[in-house]
Amino acid sequence: MRRLGIALIASVALAGCVQTRQYADVEFTPPQGDYKLLVMRPDVTVGSVTTGGLVEPRADWTETARTKLLAALRAQQASRGGNVLILNRRDSLPGVDADTIAELERLHYAVGSSIALHRYSGAYLPTKRNKGLDWTLGEDAVALGRRTGYDYALFLHAEDSFASTGRVALQVLGVAGCLVGFCAPNIGGAGQFAYASLVDLRTGEVVWFNVLQAGSQVAGIKMGDIRTDAGAAQMVDRLLDRMKPGREVRRRQKAAR
Amino acid sequence: MSALTRRAMLGGSGALALSLATGVAEARILPKDMFPLIGPGYRAVDQDEKGLWQQMERVEEEVAGSNLLIKDARLTGYLGDLIGRVGGPAAKDMRIYLARIPEFNAVMFPTGFAVIFSGLLLRMRNEAQLAGVVAHESAHFLRKHQLRQWRDMRRKSDIFSILAMGAGVAGGAAGIYAGDLVQLAQLGTILSLLKYNRTLEAEADAMGVRLLAEAGYDPTGMSETWQQLIAELDLSAKYRRKKRERDFSLFSTHPAPESRMKDLRISAAEAKVPGRAYDSYRDRYLVALASIRPTLLDDQVKLNDPGASQYVINTLAKDGWNGLLRFHEGEIWRLRNRKGDDVRAAQGYAAAILYPDAPADAWRWHGIMLMKQGRSAEARAAFAHYLKMAPNAPDAPFVRQMMAS
Repeated sequence: MRRLGIALIASVALAGCVQTRQYADVEFTPPQGDYKLLVMRPDVTVGSVTTGGLVEPRADWTETARTKLLAALRAQQASRGGNVLILNRRDSLPGVDADTIAELERLHYAVGSSIALHRYSGAYLPTKRNKGLDWTLGEDAVALGRRTGYDYALFLHAEDSFASTGRVALQVLGVAGCLVGFCAPNIGGAGQFAYASLVDLRTGEVVWFNVLQAGSQVAGIKMGDIRTDAGAAQMVDRLLDRMKPGREVRRRQKAAR
Repeated sequence: MSALTRRAMLGGSGALALSLATGVAEARILPKDMFPLIGPGYRAVDQDEKGLWQQMERVEEEVAGSNLLIKDARLTGYLGDLIGRVGGPAAKDMRIYLARIPEFNAVMFPTGFAVIFSGLLLRMRNEAQLAGVVAHESAHFLRKHQLRQWRDMRRKSDIFSILAMGAGVAGGAAGIYAGDLVQLAQLGTILSLLKYNRTLEAEADAMGVRLLAEAGYDPTGMSETWQQLIAELDLSAKYRRKKRERDFSLFSTHPAPESRMKDLRISAAEAKVPGRAYDSYRDRYLVALASIRPTLLDDQVKLNDPGASQYVINTLAKDGWNGLLRFHEGEIWRLRNRKGDDVRAAQGYAAAILYPDAPADAWRWHGIMLMKQGRSAEARAAFAHYLKMAPNAPDAPFVRQMMAS
């Protein structure tokens, strides 16, 4: 009995995890001081995990989380010294119409998907080897920067989900089953997924990309909650606050020391 | 998502559902039983529905901004009027977008906006046929199908997960391996979900017929549409030396086209009120589509699916041949370009120019075909006609050069 208990705790401890993986342009230096940052309309979804494991989107949770995330982002950027404009809608950038923003968002979606495929999903390209992050949004992004005077654009996507009571009950049953030899201690189904992508509007290049995954394989154990102030700040911190410089920059810094 | 979650998504109520899904023929749903479940100005009520609507707002924004849309104001206004006639109580709330995709399809989203593919407009012979498809899509919204489907999936996956976990634990306690049983239950659940989908499609058909008849359209238009689709798919497959794909009915999301067509025909007879006049509004349809029809035909022919293209053109020609149809008939063979196709193409162009509405390109290709046959005097006359119709065509200098040499 005691051995089983230890095994369970071990599996629980192993099952919860938070991981981020960032890539940067080899010459990337994290923005510091007096820079101007444009945050594109963040794409946020929060849902509840049903007993059967489906994610059911929740409008109220999503609204709360969006508000909290934006507040956390403002606070974090203020501490870095940047001037930030967060677009709540596609038409909230003065002097630029919604279609231009929509086009850029779609372009970034295509480029971001390519980064996800070739940097994160294992379909590595020999032509991109040892090149850090080598993707660009091209002239459209440069044109936006020239027109508006912004230095960077940040694209954000965040999902969070929480196990419903039924899902937690199913998990309890799965753990209880261990006593009779049918053990399902980690049915999972809830957690966070987010990514951030920083585009240099002076060159059009995607200079930094980060993916955050936080989840627990045990339904009912939370690894964060972006519906709360603390949880939203935690996600912004995990996702954005640990920007590493690019490889060449790091090499020069090391040499200088 | 873990593997279990994904499996659970397809999962559900198990062996019981298996027995429900197999064998039994699905009874026709009667138009008279199909009343709308929502009224005018409907908004999401329940929590799950609100979540769905919020996501769909984003989807509609993307659709509305897509560069695939045909934004011709007269045409979109015409489609808006159409949904206004067959949209039942939600007629004023629904939105319709026309996408330039040369396929037979239309989609309704849970918040009441529909996307109509341009290939659908090409295939419809009259307004009643198009109104039938729009009425079918409206019925999905009026009967809250997407929400009911989501709830069905949620309920069945819940039940499946509980049963599977319960079976595992009970099996563990009794020392029996329950895995095979759980897999059987999973298959049953999938079949049950698909059956529900087919039921909803049948509901939309029945309600569509009713909406159509109530608006004064000839409700037999809907079964004609299916008849046309079946024949087109058959011919398309035949030209590729294949047989039309038929899903095993147990595994398909929609009822078989044949049974839909039959049910629609019976329902149409049922929905007609004796003594009332029903119209197909063919003339109004032709006027509305006049400006876009050349593009629609061009898109279809360029799919290089000769069986389907020929069927579509022949179907439209049942209401009378014209220069535009004959020209595109020639284009089908010119693009396929197998042995002997050049002769068939030349015949198409030669026939096209006999009609007053023959497009300029018909004269151009007619000229080229004559040139190839060595009939240069006639070819020059055809080219002259072409240049008269399209003096600023990009290839005008080239054609002049051909005439001179």
